[in-house]
This record gives sequence, C-alpha cells and structure tokens, in this order.
Amino acid sequence: MHSSDRPFRACLFVFAAAYVLLLIAMLVADASFTSFGNIWTALTSPEIQYAIRLSFLSATITAILSVWFAVPIGYLMSRHSFRGKLLIDGILDIPIVLPPMVIGLSLLILFQTPLGKAVESVVPVTYRIPSVIIAQFSVACAFAIRAMIITFDQIDPRGEAVAQTLGCNARQAFWRVALPQARRGVLGAGMLAWARALGEFGPILVFSGATRMRTEVLPSTVFLELSIGNIDAAVAVSLIMVTAALVVLCLGRLLGLGRKVF
Amino acid sequence: MIGAAETSLLVGSALLLGLLVFFLVGSDRMPIGTSGKPISVYCAAGLQPPVAAAARAYQDQYGIAIDLTYGGSGTLLSQLSVARSGDLYIAADDSYIRSGREKGIVDEDLSLAWQVPVLAVARGNSKGISSLEDLLRDDISVGFAHPEAAAVGRIVRQVLIEAGLWEGVQARVKVFKPTVMDLANDLKIGTIDLAVIWDATAAQYPEIEGVRVQAFDAVRRPISLGVLSWSGQPAAAFHFARYLAARDKGLPHFAKRGYTVADGDRWEETPELLLMSGAMLSKAIDETVAEFEQREGVRVTRIYNGCGILVSQMKSGSRPDAYFACDQSFLDQVSERFESGQTVSANSMVILVAKDNPKKISGLADLARPGLRVGLGHPEKSALGSLTVTLLERGGHLAALKASGNLVVESATGDYLVNQARAGALDAAIVYRSNTAMVGDHLDTVEIGDANAHAVQPYAVARDSTHKQLMGRLLDAIAGQRSQKRFEGLGFDWKCKLPEMSGR
Repeated sequence: MHSSDRPFRACLFVFAAAYVLLLIAMLVADASFTSFGNIWTALTSPEIQYAIRLSFLSATITAILSVWFAVPIGYLMSRHSFRGKLLIDGILDIPIVLPPMVIGLSLLILFQTPLGKAVESVVPVTYRIPSVIIAQFSVACAFAIRAMIITFDQIDPRGEAVAQTLGCNARQAFWRVALPQARRGVLGAGMLAWARALGEFGPILVFSGATRMRTEVLPSTVFLELSIGNIDAAVAVSLIMVTAALVVLCLGRLLGLGRKVF
Repeated sequence: MIGAAETSLLVGSALLLGLLVFFLVGSDRMPIGTSGKPISVYCAAGLQPPVAAAARAYQDQYGIAIDLTYGGSGTLLSQLSVARSGDLYIAADDSYIRSGREKGIVDEDLSLAWQVPVLAVARGNSKGISSLEDLLRDDISVGFAHPEAAAVGRIVRQVLIEAGLWEGVQARVKVFKPTVMDLANDLKIGTIDLAVIWDATAAQYPEIEGVRVQAFDAVRRPISLGVLSWSGQPAAAFHFARYLAARDKGLPHFAKRGYTVADGDRWEETPELLLMSGAMLSKAIDETVAEFEQREGVRVTRIYNGCGILVSQMKSGSRPDAYFACDQSFLDQVSERFESGQTVSANSMVILVAKDNPKKISGLADLARPGLRVGLGHPEKSALGSLTVTLLERGGHLAALKASGNLVVESATGDYLVNQARAGALDAAIVYRSNTAMVGDHLDTVEIGDANAHAVQPYAVARDSTHKQLMGRLLDAIAGQRSQKRFEGLGFDWKCKLPEMSGR
C-alpha cells in the first residue's frame, strides 16, 4: 500500500465509523431504556410470540414471492426496450414513493371493488393473514425489482449474446449465463425485500388492522405498546426485532457469499 | 426444456414457499374455547388496557370471542367506512362517534367514561405547575397536541383562546404532536416538562401526574362506543356492548385505570324493561319497540293504557323504566320520578262523526244539540278526557253539554270511543286524530279549530331505572326516521328536535 493512501483510507473509516456509531448508539440507548426482565416478559407473552412467528413467516414468504417477480421484471427492464418502458419504469417506483398508509388504503379500497370481493369470497383477505403478505409484497417487491434492474444492468449482456451465438436460445442464455452471474444480486434483492417486509407497518395497520393473535406483526406490537404508554415493552420488542433481523441478514449474506468462495 | 438446475431452483423455492404457507395456515383461526361468531371490535389504541381486560372477562364468562383491532380513532373510522365490516367501534373521543353517526356508520352509541384535560408533568411536580399561566413560563418546555389531529388539542386551544392565552402559549410550545400518547411518551423520556393531555392518559403512566385546573374541568369529553350500522349480529354485538358499558362489569375496568366512568346501566344478560305508554301511542310505537327489542336483544314489556290509569298505577307502586305520556300534563303529575321529558309528537283533537256527517255537526257548540249521543274521554282516566274537559270549559260548552244529557259514554281510551262510533252507538265523539287513522272509510272528522285542541307527548326515563342508557337508546329509536313515518302516517305531528341525542 502506498503510504499516501493512508489519509484516504482513514477518511473512509471515519465516515463508516460515524454512521455505524450513530446506529449502535441508538440501540444502546434503547437497551438502556429496557431490561432483560422486560425482554423476557415480552418474549414469553403469547401475543408477542405470535407476532414474532407471523412476522418472520410472512416476511420470508414475501421475500420469496418478491424474488420470483423481481428477477423476470428486472431482466425485462434491463435487457429489453419496448414502447411505454419509461412509463412502466415510473409505475414500478410507485410503492417506493407513496406514503405507506396510502398503499394500505389503496389495497383496502381495491378489495372492496367487485373484483376484490370476488377474491374475498374464495379466500378472506382484508383484516386476515393474506392481507399482511399482500401489503408487505406490494412494497417490498418494488425494492427487490429496483435491486434486480441494477444487478442486470451491471452484468455485461455480451455474455448472453456469446451464449446465443454458441447455440443457446434466449431462455437458456438467461438461466445459464445471466442468472448465475446475478446470484449475489438475487440474494441481495431477497434480503432487501425480507428486511423491508419485516419492518412494514403503515399498509398493514390500514389493510390488515392490528388484531392481536391474528394480524399483529412486530411493528404493530411496537405501535400497540407505544399507544398505551408501555415504552419498555415497545423498546424490548424493537430490540428483539433488530437482533433477529441482524442474525438473519448476516447469516444470509454469509451463506450467499460462502458459496461463491467455494 | 428447462435444465435440471433451473428446475431445482424453481421447485425448491416453491416447496419452501408451500412449507411456510403451511406453517401460517391454522394461525388464522378462532381462539380456543370459544363458540359462535366472534364479535369484531375496532378500538382506539389508547383504550386497549380496560377494553382488553373487559373483553377477556367477557370471553371467560360467555365463551364468545372478542376480536380487538386497534388503531388511531380517526384511522379506524376511515378504515371502517371503506371496509364496511365489524360490529363495534370504540373511539378515544366522542367527536369520532358523532362523525360516524353523521356518515351512517354508527347507529347507536353507549357512554363509557369521561376524560378531562390536565396539565401533565413528571411525578413530583418539581417545577410547581398549578395553573394555565404556567404554560407561559420561560423555564418550562411545553408539548401540545396538534389541534387539527387530536381532540384534546382542539378543545384546549379553545379554552386558551377564551382565556386570552393562546397566542403566548402557541409561540412558546416546543413541540406539537399528533396524539396524547406521543406527548406522554415525551414527558416520560424527559424531552418536555409539561404537556396538556387527558387525565386518563396521564393515569396510565406511573412516572406522570396530572394537575387539574378548573378551566379544563368544564370541557370534559365523553368516551363512547358505537354500534356499527352494518353489524350482521346486532343482538350479539349489543350483548358485549352492554357488558362493556355496564356499571358492574366493564366500567370498573375503566375506573381502575383512572377513568371517570359514565353512569352505566346495571348488567343483565337479557334486560327486562317496563315501558308505560299512553294507549293512543300504541300503534305509533309498537313496531319500533319490537324492532328495538330484536336489535338490542332485550325485552321491553309495554303497558298501554289511559294515561290517568297509568299515573295512578305509578302512584300505587308501579315502577316503569320509562313513561311515554299522552300529554305533558300527565308526566307533570309524576315528574319527581322521571328525568325531564323529551317531546316526541303532538296529536290534535277532532270531532268524530258518522260518514258524510248526517247530523251536520260543525263544532263543539253543536254537541249540546238535542238528540245527539256524544262520547268523550274520561276526564280522570285519560289525557284525552282531561284535555277535552279543559277545551269545552274554556269554550263555554261544558255546562250546556252536561245539561243536554247527550253525554252517554266516558271512556279511558279514544279507541273505545272510535269503536262505539263505528258500531253506530255514538253520533259524535272527541278523539285524537291518530285514533281515526284506521276508520277513515266509515267515519268522518270535523276540525275543532282551537289552538288548544291538541296533546303533546313527552317520553321520559325514570330516575331510579337501572337501565337509563338503554331507555335513552329506545328514545333514540322512537325519535328515528322510520318511527317518524309511523307517527305521521297515523296523523301525529312530529315534534322531535333530534337526532342529536348523544352525550347523555
């Protein structure tokens, strides 16, 4: 290393350290506001256990669904040009731009239309568990799509072109050349969708309600505890959420990157 | 063809998805140990502790599940109006219930408790906060509820404007927050010294105490529960609603948490109520009362009779929960037993004659003509009779009528007179217009043309009734539009200045 590179690297570390410290300080402040007793009480309450279960299951389902949609959509937007692409690109960003409550409200209204009611007559959605997943999916998927578009944009299309000159059709070029290269991007998109879904609150509050033991996810728990002045429990639940998310995200990245090492 | 790796990716993720969904299925079920359809309650998040505790007790006692969905009062109201589902709605402030009534979302409401704004400070009140003027102190940082977002902000702003303090306070407020809970949390964390919030909110925090000031006590607000108009199981919903609003069931859960509770009804699984009503009103109210029984899941025993008879029954020990009198004069005779009456309708008096008026009776004076058979209401037993006597006396016709010997019958009810006339036993009778609604094809009426020729019907709830709220809701039903049509269809004049009945 050039000795003159040191100030530059130090500069990078300073920025990183400042931001990470801010985040850690927030968590430490949270932790100082609660106690292990509180966290234990929270963990043993059946309502919160239910919320943890629902949060993790629904977020994982949402992440998988998001990846299913984000990969083909990302590939389409990155590799193909078609009439109205600009408009579609804008529409795909709507869930990122809209206030979360509005998304919930829009879903609520959608499921009161004749079409929505037809769906409800088969599977009850509004204020039930499916609404949690739909609310999470409608937001999380937009983030996953954005991640996949960037991923495919960064992969040189020449690889697929070469594969096609060697006898692959477009589908094979996608599956054998583009997708394997995009593996980290797919993983990243999935993680992003998962984290986003886990923290989703606004649309769920409106579209699914905060019904204990039914549609209560961890952010709803925080909201409910805060609205009755139980800050200790709210903080305890937040810490549980942060810890669990940290473990899952680190583990996911480790596994995802691990395979690349081998 | 898709290659093996691709297939395994697709199938693998699909299997994982299926497995996760499998784990979730079964979560969406009824709580164990409950039967029947659950009652779905939308509840302001801040009211969670008392409502959840009462719901648990109810569930234990009756095995009926209560589904509680929490949120901000306003958010819930918006949700409700879109989704049109649920049975009950509990708002943190009565204004939301009123707004729900206006929008046709809420049909009935039950009072639960009161809340009063207080000056909330950290326990110990180390800065010695005691009056509104303390809001202007330089060493105090004040948090205020947003007047547009929170009811307490709006109400207190009005108080401060009237006290001439608002300008100064507004300039000094450190932060405006959308809800009182946000402010209480700020106080607890210590970012502000003083916040104006509800007494019940302050009572939820051991770290906070509320300082009462007189100016705020005058603007206390009711907390009430609304029954949603689209509830598919109103009787079941009312069962829980009455439980929650009962002074010996749900309300103690509120009192325990610092709320000033409403004057709730006594709990009875199926309340049996006694309504005494003037006979003239039977046709007008009977269907409405029957519908009320059905919707509320209660039993209302109706005693219809001449009002004089009803009054003497009450004087000899009958204790109705409410009295719907034929005329104000009869309610006045037992006024010490009842809360002030609400005038519902008026009924004008007419002279009933045979079809096409063969005896050519044109007014009260004609009743004394020789050879007529006249029927009147009994002056002691019925309002009709007593009003008739007053009317005849004032017009100077009473003595002549008595002297003529035409008066052949005095009856406790107008309907009896109508039947007599219908049978041809009377040539003329003074009755209410509503008595004649069914016999228009066979008999004619002659207008009396006197401003005093009418009775006014007030409804009043007994002071000692253990179901004042319930009887108040019966009045709401009687004052409703459908009931109005029934009254008017029978010839009554509508006198109800409603439908603003809340805040009892």
